[in-house]
Amino acid sequence: MPGALSDERDVREAYAAHAGELYGFAVRSLGDSGLAEEAVQETFLRAWRAGERFDPQIGSLRTWLFAILRNVVIDLSRARAARPRVGEGGIEPSVEPIDEALLGWQMEEAMRRIGEQHRRILVETYYRARPYAEVAAELGIPEGTVKSRVYYGLRALRVALEEIGYDG
Amino acid sequence: MTVERCREWRESLGTYALGHLPAEERAALEAHLEGCADCREELQSLAGVARLMPLADPERFGAAPEPPPLLGNRITATIGAERRVARRRQRRRFGLAWSGAAAAVAATAVLAIFVLGDSGGGSESPAQRVAFHSLPAGMQIDASLEPRSFGTQIEVYVSGVRSGTLCRVFLRGTHGTRLSAGSFRYRWDGDTHAMLSSGLDLSNTRAIGIRVGNHTFVAPVNADLRTDQDRRT
Repeated sequence: MPGALSDERDVREAYAAHAGELYGFAVRSLGDSGLAEEAVQETFLRAWRAGERFDPQIGSLRTWLFAILRNVVIDLSRARAARPRVGEGGIEPSVEPIDEALLGWQMEEAMRRIGEQHRRILVETYYRARPYAEVAAELGIPEGTVKSRVYYGLRALRVALEEIGYDG
Repeated sequence: MTVERCREWRESLGTYALGHLPAEERAALEAHLEGCADCREELQSLAGVARLMPLADPERFGAAPEPPPLLGNRITATIGAERRVARRRQRRRFGLAWSGAAAAVAATAVLAIFVLGDSGGGSESPAQRVAFHSLPAGMQIDASLEPRSFGTQIEVYVSGVRSGTLCRVFLRGTHGTRLSAGSFRYRWDGDTHAMLSSGLDLSNTRAIGIRVGNHTFVAPVNADLRTDQDRRT
């Protein structure tokens, strides 16, 4: 079947294309790089075993892999629930429900993808809740430009979200 | 209203979507939105992005963690191992089925070549499964040959041989050239598998041979060439 992960070569190609994002989400959700590795490995194994069920007409390979990873993360989280542990290396495990965690990761990934100028404006005005006038003065730009950058920053985020499969 | 005429309003839409627009500007923008479907549509799209923003943690906007460099290799190695186990099981089933058929035609030395389709999960050139016949009672040998970039990968399955017997495998090429594919020692009372490799391309391979102790068994690899009987010395 076209697009199915039927052999090691297909898996290698899928890994090269998607492993970085899958691993990033797994680390964010599990807060443990070892568990995240395990999650990504299990995701590709399950995908390979179920390769014939993948239908590119229904959704992209990336969406399918994320759906598998979501289940793997839930399984690993349940297995770990009996023995809670602190995230390693300063990475705190996500405590929100898995779907919110996925949306949160998508937004963070989108933020990484947009230009520094737009990201900074959104961080200062939204996440740090600083007055536009103060941000404008600090950056040496008119307040209207801050407003304009907020608008184009949100547009850039929308494009980045679409690139990474957000279809909300 | 054209997008160009809406431009000033548009640049306020982001601030509005985040809930930051001062009251007096907000009232004016809302009046414009009442009469402008394009701007309403744009606002809806931006509001969808703005709704996700509280879910993100700005502390995580830095570089994303990278997967360990060897993780990909580990995954493909695990999958390769699973495939080999599956093939082994398949071959055992095949071996049992063939034993029944062989009993029925025991007097005739017949050699069959089975060209596999994609049932093993591979999408590359087809592997060839070769069964050796006219073997001593109780003994079974078969082999699976798969084209690889380096040449040919060979998996040999042997049963019914005395433990400790040295088995040497070779491939024969188009002009009778003979290349060793390595050796292994049969160790167990049941059966054994060996993974071997040869630099000879499968397409140029005409036969596979295995010397088990003092006996050599040869089977053709491509059906349209050479003899259809294996040779035993």
